Amino acid sequence: MTEQEPQATPDAPAAAEKPARHGPPIVVAEEVLNERGEETAAQLARTLGTLVLDAAGREDTPWVRVDAAELHEAAKKCRDGEMSMDMLNLMLAVDWVDRIQMVYVLYSTTNNRKAILKADLPAELPTIDSLTDLWEAATWYERETHDLFGVEFPGNSDMSPLLLYEGFEGHPGLKSYPLNDYEEW
Amino acid sequence: MTTEPQFETVDMMLNMGPQHPATHGVFRMVLTVDGEMVVDVTPHIGYLHRGSERLAEVESYGQVITLFDRVDYIANLNNELAWVRAGEKMMEVEAPERAQYIRVILAELNRIASHLLFIGTYAIDLGAMTPVMYCFRERERIENLFEHVTGARMMHNYMRIGGVRSDVPDDFVPWVRRLVGEVRKGVEESDNLLSTNEVFLGRTRGVGVIDGPSAVSCGLTGPALRGSGVPYDVRKDDPYEIYPYLNYKVPVGENGDCWDRYYLRVLECYESLSMVEQCLNQLPDGPIMAAGRRIARPPAGEVYVHSENPRGDLGVYLVSDGTDKPYRVKIRPPSFCNLVGLRPMTKGSYIADAVAILGSLDIVLGEVDR
Repeated sequence: MTEQEPQATPDAPAAAEKPARHGPPIVVAEEVLNERGEETAAQLARTLGTLVLDAAGREDTPWVRVDAAELHEAAKKCRDGEMSMDMLNLMLAVDWVDRIQMVYVLYSTTNNRKAILKADLPAELPTIDSLTDLWEAATWYERETHDLFGVEFPGNSDMSPLLLYEGFEGHPGLKSYPLNDYEEW
Repeated sequence: MTTEPQFETVDMMLNMGPQHPATHGVFRMVLTVDGEMVVDVTPHIGYLHRGSERLAEVESYGQVITLFDRVDYIANLNNELAWVRAGEKMMEVEAPERAQYIRVILAELNRIASHLLFIGTYAIDLGAMTPVMYCFRERERIENLFEHVTGARMMHNYMRIGGVRSDVPDDFVPWVRRLVGEVRKGVEESDNLLSTNEVFLGRTRGVGVIDGPSAVSCGLTGPALRGSGVPYDVRKDDPYEIYPYLNYKVPVGENGDCWDRYYLRVLECYESLSMVEQCLNQLPDGPIMAAGRRIARPPAGEVYVHSENPRGDLGVYLVSDGTDKPYRVKIRPPSFCNLVGLRPMTKGSYIADAVAILGSLDIVLGEVDR
């Protein structure tokens, strides 16, 4: 499946908000699950039921998007249900400018399966429930995400800066943070 | 006749680091102690934060390789491998078989070099000065080979998305064969010197115990997790490159204490040496770089690739928006996750053991802080 971005014509209005891209059109990667991935996806669908908003995946790792308010419930079901996802392998935030997407990579050491949970947060005051009560590993990931992206995690008792120093202003992970500036300290 | 002491007892805070020889870098932990016992520990990191993930967003895919060299500066080639595999999956290219063999040989040798550094410095942490001399001698042999192949002892910038930069020198195979023999002797020497030493056993046996389920919950990986009896190794559980063609065992510990974590690394050195020998026997001829465009421009999408680094499961979550620069790069740093396990391991132990426990996690601060 390929999707072409509208090509900028030479006589396009100069007041366009975003400058026209040079170079070849954007191609969107096809997301295809293999047999193992399909099995995991079926398990995920059984486990989460109506919580799933959106689902796809690549190779052996399916992903589902759930509502941010229901993420904790979904994660708990994944951990305790038939999938027994006992490890929070990775957690990250992606700044899509209009929203912040949280991505949780779960792993089961007993079944050797991976699955990804995603949740969209508003760019203004992003807040999502903490997963520290489910996985100890979430404590530092959440502090890191709070430092770099400004996401709030109600439920995490310690939100002091982890990677940045006390009193640092701004969130350097965000696309809006200037990259080439520096400050003396 | 005994009487209760008439004074109030309070817990004392003991600061360790950031400039402390036993923290292997700029790492600080605040120990709350009750006499000799550690009641609580608060690690402080971030002194080496360089924003590698954010920097990667303004570099092209090929330039990010140099950043990954500097993420874990002890195991550079393993890190490069993680990044180029993420790029390859994103761009749907596959490295030729010869390139994959070369990459695995170098990555396994780098794993041995990293473990040797661990064995030596861990002995220093516990007060034994001699083993580090032997370990560094052997590590230097491996670094010499890397210099011969890649042109640099560290920060190689050797692997490429789709293969490797240049083919190995003509004398590579005999050199590595000789090297494997020498290093095996060296590892045996350090093993005999240290592993069953009475004092060493006394300092590490039953110290810093963590059970399997809590280790998994903390996100520990690599030898730190396998020491607790969980046989999770990415090379076996999610095979990549040519690892399925190799015959090797993944050593697993039982007790989850410092000695298990230490000894697994020694055993892994032997396994890696045997893997390198197998690779040399199977090393095919052929191209070293996949045919393709010079300027890498992957389709828009997201991939997650992880691989087994000497310290554990090194993951790369890569988001592309279809341009020639990554949109978001997230590294899953194994040392960072292993440090989460420091608090449950250290609580209730002696102050002197805190150093032994921290050393047994084998952290690299460049990777913790990125």
